[in-house]
Amino acid sequence: MPSLTRRQLLHTATAIAAGMVLPGCGWTLGEVRPALSKGNKDELSLFTWESYIDPLLTETFHTQTGINVTADIYDSNETMLATFQSGKGAIYSVIYPSDYKVAEMIDKKLLKPLDHSRINGMENLMPEFQNSVYDPANRHSVPISWGTTGFIYNTAALNPGPEDWEDLWRLQAQLNRKMTLLADVREVMGATLKSLGHSYNATDPTEIRQAYQKLVQLKPAVTTFTTDAWRDRLLAGDLILSMAYSADAVRLIQENPDAKLRYVIPASGTSLWSDTMVIPVTAPNPDAAYEWINFMMQPSVAVGVTSRLFFATPNQAAFDQLPAPLRNNGSLFPPESVIQACERIIPLDPKVMELYDQYWTKLTSG
Amino acid sequence: MVSPASPLPSTTEPKAPPQWLQPLLMLAPAGVWLALLLVLPTLLIFQLSLVPGIRPGQVVNPSGLDNYWRIVQPDYFPVLTRSLFFSIGTTIACLVLGFPIAYWIALKVPKRWQNLVLLAFVLPLWTSSLLRTYAWITILRPTGVLNSILGKVGMPPLDLLNREPAVLIGMTYSLLPYMVLILYAALEKLDRRLLEAAADLGANPAQTFWRVTVPQSLTGIAAGSLLVFITSMGDFVNPEILGGASSMTVARLIYNQFLGATQNWGFGSALSMVLILVVSIAIALLLKYGDRSAAGGV
Repeated sequence: MPSLTRRQLLHTATAIAAGMVLPGCGWTLGEVRPALSKGNKDELSLFTWESYIDPLLTETFHTQTGINVTADIYDSNETMLATFQSGKGAIYSVIYPSDYKVAEMIDKKLLKPLDHSRINGMENLMPEFQNSVYDPANRHSVPISWGTTGFIYNTAALNPGPEDWEDLWRLQAQLNRKMTLLADVREVMGATLKSLGHSYNATDPTEIRQAYQKLVQLKPAVTTFTTDAWRDRLLAGDLILSMAYSADAVRLIQENPDAKLRYVIPASGTSLWSDTMVIPVTAPNPDAAYEWINFMMQPSVAVGVTSRLFFATPNQAAFDQLPAPLRNNGSLFPPESVIQACERIIPLDPKVMELYDQYWTKLTSG
Repeated sequence: MVSPASPLPSTTEPKAPPQWLQPLLMLAPAGVWLALLLVLPTLLIFQLSLVPGIRPGQVVNPSGLDNYWRIVQPDYFPVLTRSLFFSIGTTIACLVLGFPIAYWIALKVPKRWQNLVLLAFVLPLWTSSLLRTYAWITILRPTGVLNSILGKVGMPPLDLLNREPAVLIGMTYSLLPYMVLILYAALEKLDRRLLEAAADLGANPAQTFWRVTVPQSLTGIAAGSLLVFITSMGDFVNPEILGGASSMTVARLIYNQFLGATQNWGFGSALSMVLILVVSIAIALLLKYGDRSAAGGV
């Protein structure tokens, strides 16, 4: 009886398919497993930010060690972690997470503790980077650069310019549809919280709601929320002001000296960030990873990173070798008093994060 | 098994698989493909959608519909409405712009040039869609190409970028070639004798168009609209890059849940299921009402 047989077959197939998936409770989402094959000794795979890609670095490293470097890039810490956890991460031996993501990755046991005896020049790090809140005693990470979040604006179009977050609201009429904010819920909400006198990392629902309500007032003037797509338009005059990371802003200013652009670290304080190098537990080639970290720690290499890519170095030995104009650049290396007012973004409880996200969705859909 | 009368020992009569198995064997490659890449992932997403607030690294333990209740909160209603607005708008724009083009290629262009014209039309698809979207920034921004042209002919500048029109322009541009290709395939089969007959019987061009051409190409119109609608529901590149401060769509919201700060894969999965549901309803409606001729003909 063919039809009966077919039906039986269908039933069995459906049961197998459903059995494989539905009652399969208890599996772990995004569990990180090491790659099955060990990595090639002469290959090093990096997972990093686009701004850190520099052919000269990888070529010099290859000449010194014979190791070939390949790099994949990500555009946010969240994308990096999601990519890493969804299984693609097992090919990387060095990753460049930012401070708060380091804390989260340590918490999730994704990082190898570093063997400091294999790293040269840890003592060259500036004292404030010897011991960080996100990773005490740098047990899992080595800071490679740091900076602030602020705004870059056109001094020809806005004079006097803004000096603090609050000024964005004050100058709203002039900035109308000529301003962009970062596409980052923590940075934008944090800046608004700061302008209200709260912490960048506020967890109190009332404070978070106040910040949302204040942002709603500013929103009609905001062209869009973007982390990258402001450079050309700022140069062309379509935008007057963009919220930006210091490294991106300083680079644009250095490359376009005639554009009358200025970077401002808001007076009441902002977020202070560091990018770091870490070795994930799944690293296929930890030896090459240590080689890379040691290479990046060389003062001459760190000088190159700062003068070509305009990232502030946490390396005192490298700082001392920098040309004077860079060393005295207040946007790259702000005075201690400015840093004092800043905060690092710290990971928040998922429930609080949910609240931030809900307000962010409301803000960007209203 | 082996026929004893056969002169050649190798000519075994291959035992034909049972009748019911034959279609299964033919469908097996596509079936395995669909099961592995469509059914299984969808079931996984469905399972994740039943876990409230699950994040990577946590144990999957389905426990209820909380994620779905969250979607029906008023906060998310504007997001769904905006997605539908963009998708329906793009579908209409593609249809209005695509029909004359497809009609021209199918009926007016000499046969030997048709393939070349079609090729020219789909040529933009050979470049990265991201690149094409960024090109629209250069065109639409306040001091961009469009406004310099408008300024030259003495017209006031348009502020389109980072507003709804820019998203609609970008999406329409991305999806127009698909609409044209499908409409072309439908119009190419148009029975021209019916057009002549209509003219002979005294129908004016408008009447011929609405009562002869359109009914005959209804299949293509339905299929093209469906494809454009579905694809634009899932598009997050155009709203993200060309949209402004208020350009949250379902696709972007899903992206944010998986790759954003909250990492709430459970809520993201529930949103994905809703998106799949909306698309399925669109397909079902078209199969039932819009695509009768196709269902009957094929």
